[in-house]
Amino acid sequence: MNKLFPLRILPILAPAAFILACMTVLLPLAAGSVDLTYLYTFRTSFLGILLEALPFVLLGSLLSSLVHLYVSEQLLKKWIPKNPAAGILTACILGLLFPVCECGMIPLIRRLIQKGMPVYIATVFILSGPIINPVVFGATYMAFRLYPEMVYARMGLAFFVAASIGVMIYVTWKTDPLKMASASGATAQDHPAHHSHSNQGKKKWTSIFVHTADEFFDMGKYLLLGCMLTAGIQSFVAKESLESIGSGPVSAYVFMMGFAFLLSLCSTSDAFVAQTFLHSFSSGSLLAFLVFGPMLDFKNTLMLLSVFKTKFVIYLAFLICTVVFTGAVAVDAFFLSQ
Amino acid sequence: MNEEPVFQSHELFRSLILLGFAIYIARLSATGYLQYYVAPEMYPWLRLSVIPLVMLSVNLAYRTMFGTKHGVDCHCEHPVTGSKLKHAAIYALFILPILLGSLLPDQALGVTAAAKKGMILGSPVLTREQLDGKFKAPDKYNVEFAELAKLLYVQDPIEVKPEIYSEIVGSIQLFKEEFKGKRIRLSGFVYRDAGVSPDDEFVLGRFLVQCCTADAYPFGVPVLLQANHPAVRNDAWLEVEGNLVTVIREDREVMAVEAELVTEIPRPDTPYIYLNSKAVEQWIQEARESSGGIKPGAGDDS
Repeated sequence: MNKLFPLRILPILAPAAFILACMTVLLPLAAGSVDLTYLYTFRTSFLGILLEALPFVLLGSLLSSLVHLYVSEQLLKKWIPKNPAAGILTACILGLLFPVCECGMIPLIRRLIQKGMPVYIATVFILSGPIINPVVFGATYMAFRLYPEMVYARMGLAFFVAASIGVMIYVTWKTDPLKMASASGATAQDHPAHHSHSNQGKKKWTSIFVHTADEFFDMGKYLLLGCMLTAGIQSFVAKESLESIGSGPVSAYVFMMGFAFLLSLCSTSDAFVAQTFLHSFSSGSLLAFLVFGPMLDFKNTLMLLSVFKTKFVIYLAFLICTVVFTGAVAVDAFFLSQ
Repeated sequence: MNEEPVFQSHELFRSLILLGFAIYIARLSATGYLQYYVAPEMYPWLRLSVIPLVMLSVNLAYRTMFGTKHGVDCHCEHPVTGSKLKHAAIYALFILPILLGSLLPDQALGVTAAAKKGMILGSPVLTREQLDGKFKAPDKYNVEFAELAKLLYVQDPIEVKPEIYSEIVGSIQLFKEEFKGKRIRLSGFVYRDAGVSPDDEFVLGRFLVQCCTADAYPFGVPVLLQANHPAVRNDAWLEVEGNLVTVIREDREVMAVEAELVTEIPRPDTPYIYLNSKAVEQWIQEARESSGGIKPGAGDDS
């Protein structure tokens, strides 16, 4: 196989060489006319977003492999409340214990579902974790220090959205939402027993490495795509041209939610960006931005797609869009604009 | 047994990619260019992440050379499936940031990014609503701004320190009437809006960074040049000294600087501005000590 490898790529190599030759000739000519600053802006944005997310994806992969090896199904069953209402409420405040952003959360969640965590609880955790945690509370408070009601509105709405979507998933979604459901189900069955009974410490160490690396590469490709798209939007699309879309009362909500989706900011820093819109957008639409962004954005949708079936992701996205929109309008009407 | 070499070539690729990331991060950290990409709060996380990256890489490399197909007796790995082309594309995706990062020189965000993100005049820690009616509310940050304003008022010229840049600008903006005519010295990059800025005016800008470049946020102070001053180059770094005035821009009153001394400076080692409440406290402490504990009551009686 290895010997054949160079021969196989030969057909691709020829056009690649051609393109390379063309580029070496044309690039110096083009460089004069094309503004290279765009490339540098893209590069700085792309690497910045990637470097910021990398430690957390690594941490998430590590946590996921630790859960895989050390938390048995039985143990998890004991931890998760039997009562769905209690389960949902617990999942809502679980973020207080795990202040990880969504990049780190998704690999962990996949593993927990494989271990038998109910889907609705996992969903609630994915949605509430990135918002209802002390780090995000602090950051939002800093950004909206003159509007503390915004901080409480954000936490409250996030709690409400996560809990109500949890209930909806509990009622409506009965099948396994994970990709490769049969395979993962089977391994989850026979695995923990095997691991918990093997006392070979060295093997366990190696397996932590194996799983972490697998998880990292699995998530990494979606993260990289997400970073590239986000950086592209940030460095090539002007904010004003986006802003002009959302001038009406309803379109402001749609715009702010779409903007949150495209920017894919980390939940610890998005409040600051939202704050800069205070003078041009209603507080309800800013609230929608603050709650919607951490729950659903470019980067995490791609990561969700790597874990869940497309159908489930679309369903979840639909729920998030509608519940956040309704909730933000309601909070704006009854709480913020008094 | 047939699949073994394929699997191992995957492990080798992965090992090299992980090592590449580790080296890239370590090098960024060592050269200090890390600050072009993320805020200081992220440094420890990134430095720490080098350790697992290297460990994973070494482990993969070890298994490529000495291990069996499954070094651990474990059936739960996601099987490496898919076509060669798909794998090539995925590895290319991983190699791209490493190549992009190591082949091209590191550059901080500049005018191009500022134009796309939308330059904001004045300090980003204040917004119009806050200035219009709410700033008299008993809020500890406004108290801090007032405190800052008092200490700034006695300085001549007022030195805008990079560590608390946005706070100083915010404080002056909040009490701009009192600060009219005071001398100020500040530095930043030149931002000229091609269609909008007249020839004798530009914005002296900075980026405020919270987490990483994704939330980098451009803000600045309009600078009015003297009539016969040669035009300034976009993206150049300048130190400007002059008198504070107020101008109407974008339908609101903002502080501006009538430049008297304009000097080109090299790009500072720390081009971005971070929010740092500790630095503010420290600055207030030092300023109090240097002014001998006397509290001039000029700043806050608006």
